[in-house]
Amino acid sequence: MPDPVTLTVNGTDHTFTLPRETPLIYILRNDLALNGPKFGCGLGECGACTVLLDGVAARSCVVTLGSAEGRAVTTLEGLGTPEAPHPVQVAFIAEQAAQCGYCLNGMIMATTSFLMRHPAPTEAEARDALRYNLCRCGTHVEILRAVMRAAQEMGGAPDQGAAETDLAP
Amino acid sequence: MTEPTPAPADLLARTGTLAILRPAQHVKGLVPTTPPPEGALDIFLYVDDAGTVMAFNGHVDLGTGIRTALAQIVAEELDVPLDRVVMVLGHTGGTPNQGATIASDSIQVSAIPLRRAAAQARHRLVALAAEALDVPADDLMVTDGVVHPRAGGNAGLSYAAILAGRQERLMLAETVAVKPVSDYRIVGQRMPRVDIPAKATGTFAYVHDVRVPGMLHGRVVRPPYAGVDAGDFIGHSLIGVDESSVAGLPGVVAVVTMGDFVGVVAEREEQAAEAARRLVVRWKPAPPLPDLKDLPNALRANPSRTRTLLDTGDVDAARAAAAYPMDRTYVWPYQMHASIGPSCAVADVTAQGVTVWSGTQNPFPLRADIALLLGLPEDVIEIIRFEAAGCYGRNCADDVAADAALLSRAVGRPVRVQLTREQEHAWEPKGAAQLMEVKGGLNADGTVAAYDFSTRYPSNAATTLALLLTGRVPADNPIFEMGDRTSIAPYAYDNMRVVVHDMAPLVRAAWLRGVSALPNSFAHESYVDELATAAGVDPVEFRLRHLHDPRAVDLVKEVAEKAGWEHRTGPRQEVVEGDIVRGQGFAYALYVHSKFPGYGAAWSAWVAEVEVNKATGDVNVTRVVVGQDSGLMINPAGIEHQIHGNVIQSTSRALKEEVSFSDTAVASREWGAYPILTFPEVPVIKVVLMPRPEEPPLGSGESASVPSAAAIANAIFDATGVRFREPPFTPDRVRAALTGETPPPEPKPHKKKRSWFAMAGAALAGALGMATIALPIRGAIAPIAPPDPSAFSAEMIARGKQLAALGDCAVCHTVPGGVANAGGRAMETPFGTVYATNLTPDSDTGIGRWSYAAFERAMREGISRDGRHLYPAFPYTAFTKASDTDLQALYAYLMSQPPASAPVPEAKMAFPFNIRPLMAAWNMLFLMTGQAVADPARSPQWNRGAYLVEGLGHCGACHTPRNGLGAEKTGAAYLAGGMVDGWEAPALTALSKAPIPWTEAELYSYLRTGFSPHHGTAAGPMAPVVQELAHLPDADIRAMAVYLASFSGPAPADPETKAATLQAQATAALRPLDTLGGKLYEGACAACHSESGPTLFGVRPALALNTNVHAARPDNLVRVILDGIPSPAARDLGDMPAFRDSLDDGQVAALVRYIRAKFAPDAPAWESVESTVARLRSAPGTH
Repeated sequence: MPDPVTLTVNGTDHTFTLPRETPLIYILRNDLALNGPKFGCGLGECGACTVLLDGVAARSCVVTLGSAEGRAVTTLEGLGTPEAPHPVQVAFIAEQAAQCGYCLNGMIMATTSFLMRHPAPTEAEARDALRYNLCRCGTHVEILRAVMRAAQEMGGAPDQGAAETDLAP
Repeated sequence: MTEPTPAPADLLARTGTLAILRPAQHVKGLVPTTPPPEGALDIFLYVDDAGTVMAFNGHVDLGTGIRTALAQIVAEELDVPLDRVVMVLGHTGGTPNQGATIASDSIQVSAIPLRRAAAQARHRLVALAAEALDVPADDLMVTDGVVHPRAGGNAGLSYAAILAGRQERLMLAETVAVKPVSDYRIVGQRMPRVDIPAKATGTFAYVHDVRVPGMLHGRVVRPPYAGVDAGDFIGHSLIGVDESSVAGLPGVVAVVTMGDFVGVVAEREEQAAEAARRLVVRWKPAPPLPDLKDLPNALRANPSRTRTLLDTGDVDAARAAAAYPMDRTYVWPYQMHASIGPSCAVADVTAQGVTVWSGTQNPFPLRADIALLLGLPEDVIEIIRFEAAGCYGRNCADDVAADAALLSRAVGRPVRVQLTREQEHAWEPKGAAQLMEVKGGLNADGTVAAYDFSTRYPSNAATTLALLLTGRVPADNPIFEMGDRTSIAPYAYDNMRVVVHDMAPLVRAAWLRGVSALPNSFAHESYVDELATAAGVDPVEFRLRHLHDPRAVDLVKEVAEKAGWEHRTGPRQEVVEGDIVRGQGFAYALYVHSKFPGYGAAWSAWVAEVEVNKATGDVNVTRVVVGQDSGLMINPAGIEHQIHGNVIQSTSRALKEEVSFSDTAVASREWGAYPILTFPEVPVIKVVLMPRPEEPPLGSGESASVPSAAAIANAIFDATGVRFREPPFTPDRVRAALTGETPPPEPKPHKKKRSWFAMAGAALAGALGMATIALPIRGAIAPIAPPDPSAFSAEMIARGKQLAALGDCAVCHTVPGGVANAGGRAMETPFGTVYATNLTPDSDTGIGRWSYAAFERAMREGISRDGRHLYPAFPYTAFTKASDTDLQALYAYLMSQPPASAPVPEAKMAFPFNIRPLMAAWNMLFLMTGQAVADPARSPQWNRGAYLVEGLGHCGACHTPRNGLGAEKTGAAYLAGGMVDGWEAPALTALSKAPIPWTEAELYSYLRTGFSPHHGTAAGPMAPVVQELAHLPDADIRAMAVYLASFSGPAPADPETKAATLQAQATAALRPLDTLGGKLYEGACAACHSESGPTLFGVRPALALNTNVHAARPDNLVRVILDGIPSPAARDLGDMPAFRDSLDDGQVAALVRYIRAKFAPDAPAWESVESTVARLRSAPGTH
């Protein structure tokens, strides 16, 4: 029987008696019924499974239970709720930044982590920050608008002004 | 938000309700279907006295937003608020069978009965209100579900009130007065999608999120003919499954085999995944594929049936008479749907019936497939459709549903099956390759002489995989007539012939967004551009001369104007600066789809702007102006969103996408090998909508993709003067065409060389053979009663524990997952396999009966208590240097552990090493007993480090090369690097290949945290060493760093600057799209390793500084790519995944060569990388 491992998920402590190499995503999805993190590749390539680990974006398909031990895990559900969404979620909803929405979790979590560190990004910086989050439906334009809107509404990004940006409708 | 799945029978049993019904229709699909039962009725609309409005449609929402658009149509015609309408989509038990969700037909076709149903319901409700209010119906109007007099006043009846006590059942009328467009308040408005708030907060349930009580987890194991679905071998390639290979794994419930279908079921998902990875399955080799690197010939050689769709004028005569004959060939590659989530399904097969929760695009055809697979009638099978990752045609959603059904039936419980990324990539039905050939030309007056167009399209319906794998359906590749989409050029050429060669697929393929229309239009729209250039006419003007469809003409003119189309009569090759040139290209298409002659969806036109670097071949699509005429736009916001998606996805297809194949199967199994467009590459997109509210609404899901590739190719031509007729327009291809240089092919694998281990062993056999006869036999030391742990002080035991950590006892003396120090771990050495002994104080199998004297002799002389010689895999040559007090403390600790009974297997050594007494001779030669002696010329800290490193730390055991007899070399060879367990332990001296020599600070960081910014991460056998060193105090780690640093080469004056320079140089040299290696690095590695990548949990090892990348041999790099870092040295490092199951040997080799070339540009290329990969893949080692 493996040693128990404790982590905090969306503010609540949970203890698991599972092998330390168990990928975090399975624990979040199957043991805690958190649907935010999505299985996309299992290789850390696409970003669909992103969560925050002590406030840093982490790809939960490759992060193991052992690496998450003792840390604070935040999933899309922990970021905000339909009734009280996080400003990044508000921005993504306002910009309609989803088609199928399967990559949306990763986009929102990566954006949240990014804006914590770069509260006033340029659009080029936002593009670079999401470079390794893949979207197949082609929702990039709306997602970038959402990132810039979130930055602005969270008090970070300066107004882009009237200059023609990639994001103008 | 979860899928509404009401049962129509329950709804219809209620009073206080209105329902619009229609006799169920027999929809014939690509496979035979069962007609619905006699008298069966489909429900289209339901309204009740609680205010509920439900509307039913047999199509599904693929992420395109039809759930919202259909609700708008219903809300409009019924006059209720949008948020009142619940759309029920695509469940076989509750929605009408309207066939598969294909061809952008949901709004254009399948919404028509729904609109009528809603209008009919409104008329009925108004009529009932008229009766109740005693007012003529014509004098009434409806606002938000309340019927009231137009004249105003307080009178009014809500729909809910009208329906109280009633059971209104209406058959859907053929003709119903629908609202005039001028009355629309909801249709035509930009409406936010109803599903996005739930999706953005994690409360939306996709099929991946379906959980059923008692559910188990399944994984499938697919055959080696990945992505191939026709031939006699399909379903007959399995040789055997070794169930014992997973018998010991926790949680495994069943291994299921039927023909070539193999699956595992386990209690937990990760257990199923592990079982699928570990299951030993033997297959017959897959037969070779045609050479798909040469698509034109592969397609020409594929047998076909010819259909002539159009033959006007006298094509042959006109072509023969052309003043400027122009024959052109256009080639389209195999591409992927590449859904971002691998397909998933849950099935529950019971005696009572079958329920399948599926993300299928085709619920009714899937039901027929499951019925066939399980041998059950369709009416006991219910498909409940949940949304899934976007699909764009046909992914593995149906396959996985059938897989789940088979596994559920086998275990008698609900089973959820999640495909892997590799399976989705490999097995999804690909968008087919296509070959378009045009014979034609211009007359002397610049008019078009002839247009003789033929197209070859090898696609099919991609029969649900389980039907083929189990042999239920023969893998005989039916031929479908689907190459004809938009095959008629849209231009009024007087002499035009259009011929389609229908053919069986070469690999598993089906329709992908734009089907055959996108490749056909690529040819039409490239060719018309070529004609315009040859005629010296502006390409837009040339098109307009031949385009007589007024809506097309309006669109083309509008888009050209909005885009600022610049008139030209040849390629402008406008220089931006240096090697960068700019161009602008036009293309137009009306997407004509469905069975020929088919019908049109929305009209679309593109102006693409590109910048091309003529030196590197990089093509950057900077801006796309795209216009679309969709007729009446139900939700303009949704259409705009679809246009964005189409532009981005089709730009991706044109610039980057091409499935790669091995000789036998699909080779692209993850995102590195199949790159798609990323955020920095997304162009500025300007959408030009053509409002035509009086025209019927047209499908918008695909149209904007169709002109894409031609517009981009035409823009590249304008920029460079060079015509590209085969996407993707990758830099290597563009550069080759512009500069005439062709890229070198990836090297072919070398033949295997004989292992030097084998040669060394043979040479040694004689060397020791004779020398040992006279050697003394050592005696046994008498056993003792196991000492009482309480005899040792707690302090002594604690000190011993630290020393055990320093000596890594548990690393070698513990099997993975086993009891610490209980032995049994296999150690592969060049001379055979030895097994670590049991170091717990068990009396029979461990060291319980060892006295301290016996222990000390073992540690200092390598002699077991019973007098047998131990092999020097046990590093007694180092341990001999430990102090008496340290050995006593270590003894105290080991004897205080809980005893574990664990017999140790016999060593399996090759002759002569299997003769243990020979080790006496070995010891005579190489063992220098005696405790370490301090060097007075050195500092106490250095001496402390020396004691730790040379003694119990035994660093040299791995890091010092060994001589032919397996002994550590001495002198300058000390710490000069060695091999252990298939890993290279790099040199720690000036011989280190690291670009920045080790310093005390970096050594300290590495030993303390498992990571050195200038060298990399501890992995392989070093990871557990660092884990153990965590038990040592800082002062000892620092002392080791001081000592080891004294062997290092001179440190650069400013290592940080050098590090930054090396990284910047490497970053500047990266070419993510030029080669397979570049693609793999960008897709698989860069997120975590690129200097400018996103902030992610864990360290970001810089490959430009990494010792392994600069090493003399690629082994460590190969190993870490194959197996990742499953157990990182420290919890802050982050985890690296294994790519063993995602990349083949050739791909790993290409990646390794790329990393070497880009990140260690001054080091020589490694030789025989491919054979190294094959060797290391088959010998995974014990770390």
